[in-house]
Amino acid sequence: LARTMSRRSDNLMQLVYGLPSTKLGSVAEENDDSEANSSDDEFFRPKGQKQQAKNESPSFGDIDGEDCSKFFKAELKDWSNEDLIKSIRDRFVTGNWSK
Amino acid sequence: MGRDKSRRLYGSRHFRQRLVLATLTSTAVTIEDIRSGDASPGLRPYEVSLLRLLDKISDHHTIDLNETGTKLRYRPGVIIGGKGLEHDCGVHRGIGYFLEPLILLGLFSRAPISIRLKGITNDTKDPSVDTFRTTTLHMLKHFGVPLDGFDLNIDSRGSPPLGGGEVFLRVRNINSTLTAANWVDEGMVKRIRGVSFSTRVSPQLENRIIYAARGIFNRFIPDVHIHTDHRSGSAGGRSPGYGVSLVAETTTGCLLSVDVTVSYPSVDEINEESEKPELTSPEDLGVQAASMLLEEVAQGGVVDSTHQGLLFILCALCPPDVSKVRVGQLTPYGIETLRNIRDFLDVKFIIKPDPNSNTVTLKCVGAGVKNLARKIS
Repeated sequence: LARTMSRRSDNLMQLVYGLPSTKLGSVAEENDDSEANSSDDEFFRPKGQKQQAKNESPSFGDIDGEDCSKFFKAELKDWSNEDLIKSIRDRFVTGNWSK
Repeated sequence: MGRDKSRRLYGSRHFRQRLVLATLTSTAVTIEDIRSGDASPGLRPYEVSLLRLLDKISDHHTIDLNETGTKLRYRPGVIIGGKGLEHDCGVHRGIGYFLEPLILLGLFSRAPISIRLKGITNDTKDPSVDTFRTTTLHMLKHFGVPLDGFDLNIDSRGSPPLGGGEVFLRVRNINSTLTAANWVDEGMVKRIRGVSFSTRVSPQLENRIIYAARGIFNRFIPDVHIHTDHRSGSAGGRSPGYGVSLVAETTTGCLLSVDVTVSYPSVDEINEESEKPELTSPEDLGVQAASMLLEEVAQGGVVDSTHQGLLFILCALCPPDVSKVRVGQLTPYGIETLRNIRDFLDVKFIIKPDPNSNTVTLKCVGAGVKNLARKIS
């Protein structure tokens, strides 16, 4: 999530801290979103279930997000691939430093 | 109005960081709507356990929790620390969950903390105690904290779901402030170290993990040593499990770590699934751990993705001096940490992406948090 986001946005400051003026607005918008979602679906539904559905894609708007410092990558690359090996070869002391 | 000056927060996320930052800045906080929309509302057992731990190491504080546990009022006091403390971390989260806040609070306590923590030493959600010992503690060196007063002994290990591990932690308090860090050179990886562990299973599994991991690393670097730490009997806790923690050491002394653990899920989770799930094989686990470590190396930065949050907090706590650090891609947790730091410490980082190496450089002027709890003799 963060990877794609940071690539797209040229300004990381804005990504992290938000635009100064819309700081409060963005929080309000998120609340509106969640209300809209719940009214679209069935009328009676335990709130817990809605949470679970949301948990599939953990978002920044989820105020009860899991407190977990480990970052899980969705998929791992195959590091026996020759191209990948080359791409980080120079991050090791065994790399080719004569260039 | 003056009575209710506490900062209002909502939801249970970043519970630990909020409590830690509130304590360090002496800000009273009121956290509302803690899982109020959830099927089981309120604080989770591990969060209550964290509050109890906080209660043990501090003084002159108040913690008010309403009946359902959805509203918490916390007024921080002084962290006193002390010797011979003991805390049962429960079996809902690993000990790593408690170590992260403890180390920060311990730095700013009146006396050094030495505490015995019981619970799960290695699990999937939290950094394992091995990672903590090999990597996290060493981060402090870069902020002017000598490591001689720090210690983490693993007396026994415990895997989820039943735990039974026990570690002994010593954290030294600092004299007044940290020192600002200029820590941008990540260097090259010069060696890879690690520990594989197994509790209540055959010690042969560890060798299988190591063999698989080494197979991946051999293409990159020959200097790979992964120790084994087999625990049986009472030192092996109450549940079977195995895993490995790997650390890549660079020429400039940066440490990048990953850890993985495999164990059976707890009993009620099995009932839901209605069959005993198959565990990842040691070979797959070794490959997974090695791939994760290479991923961290490829990311660049002076710390791995797990330690970004702690790194930013340490930077922000520095005296009013410029700290500069480099990390790989920002993680969601790191971003949230930056926001929390802005809210509590009023420190804003200057974040610059570095397109050449695909890393991010962060600069900040520290808030100058002092250890006011320490007795001045």
